[in-house]
Amino acid sequence: MKHISPNSVAADSPARAPTRRALAKQQTRLKVLAAARRLFSEQGYEGATIRDIASAAGMSTGAVFANFTDKSDLFREIMIDDIEALIASMREAAERGRNVEDGLLKMFMAGYTFYKTRLQLARAAFSVSWDKDGGPTLRGLPNNVTMQDLFTESLANAVTRGELSQEAEVKLRSQMLFDTYLSNFPQAIFEGWSLDALQARARDQIRILLAGARRG
Amino acid sequence: MKADVGPTPPLPSGKAAPPARQSQKEATRQRVIAAARELFDTHGYEGTTIREIARHAGVAVGSVFTTFASKGEILSEVMAARLDPLYAEIDRVMPHVRGSTADRLRTMFAVHFEFEARHVRLFLSHIAAAYDWTLAPGVRPYGRNQRLREVIRETLRRGQAEGDVRPDADLDEVIDLLVSAYAWTYRLVVTSNADAKAMIAVMDRQIGLIADGFALRA
Repeated sequence: MKHISPNSVAADSPARAPTRRALAKQQTRLKVLAAARRLFSEQGYEGATIRDIASAAGMSTGAVFANFTDKSDLFREIMIDDIEALIASMREAAERGRNVEDGLLKMFMAGYTFYKTRLQLARAAFSVSWDKDGGPTLRGLPNNVTMQDLFTESLANAVTRGELSQEAEVKLRSQMLFDTYLSNFPQAIFEGWSLDALQARARDQIRILLAGARRG
Repeated sequence: MKADVGPTPPLPSGKAAPPARQSQKEATRQRVIAAARELFDTHGYEGTTIREIARHAGVAVGSVFTTFASKGEILSEVMAARLDPLYAEIDRVMPHVRGSTADRLRTMFAVHFEFEARHVRLFLSHIAAAYDWTLAPGVRPYGRNQRLREVIRETLRRGQAEGDVRPDADLDEVIDLLVSAYAWTYRLVVTSNADAKAMIAVMDRQIGLIADGFALRA
């Protein structure tokens, strides 16, 4: 459940041990983030208010605002932590792939498996991502960009290995693979598709999207 | 058709109301739909509330709720009212559109982009609403647009008949890929304020790539 990156506490003063005050501040942040994660999961992005998050964390709204500028800031922090963890498992999945198709399928599945227990959080993220105000921030997060790069790398490696042709249009194709990966989430979120069903569908999609890039 | 035939025949809901009340109800409905269209187009899906829709339409919140179950349902009606004439036109024109299956799909989607780009935030609301978990399954909007799926299916079938689409192509998978490519292309509006022309250019290339997956090769 927790994917809280430890880097923010040490970043301030890498040389010295963190002061007690810094530790207390970090404790507060973690408590707020845990409460926010729970409420976003239960009530969605719109439904969760700072007031509710504060009271779930057992502190005042003032204490929340001392650590986060607003609700979107909180949400962004949670997304950053999650995506970081997900990228690690996608990268690992890609390495286990027997070929480009299998590697991509394993990346898709790493994502669906990761979010299987956090579907409501995923739903909130998608909802925000289509918002003209919140969308650009969320989509532009550096590690969201990294995730898409993983798909590009997979294809580029396959071109190098000679599995895909030199004219594979790697950029467009990886963008489409990433979009397709994302576009299956509604089935998972709302229709309760099993991981097996998602896998069967993803396998077909990947096959169609790679067809034109095959050599020969 | 009146209820004097016998004890409570199973009429469709709403049909039993007397004419005057019926037309008043319809007038409210139309006002709510018009007000909602404007608000969704300005404030997006999350930013629009039923309360504001009611105020903008000049009707009581309660009377909105007697006609619509949710914000998502109102948006569905808004989109249906917009899309019905579009699909009537597309159905009429498609049999006359020439070229390869990929080109016919390109033309068909270009018409969509031109149409939606005029009220693009409304369309973004439509997509965002697909992630509203409070909606009843029948209401959830994007991705359930059967008209769009049917036009694509018709085009692919014609391609199979004319021989540029593989007879064994999995049409449902191809349709899903095209429908999601279409929706995700609107991402460019969110990230870079793209206009219809820019989105059409991107969609053209995506269709080409998907077509590689269904094309019958010599």
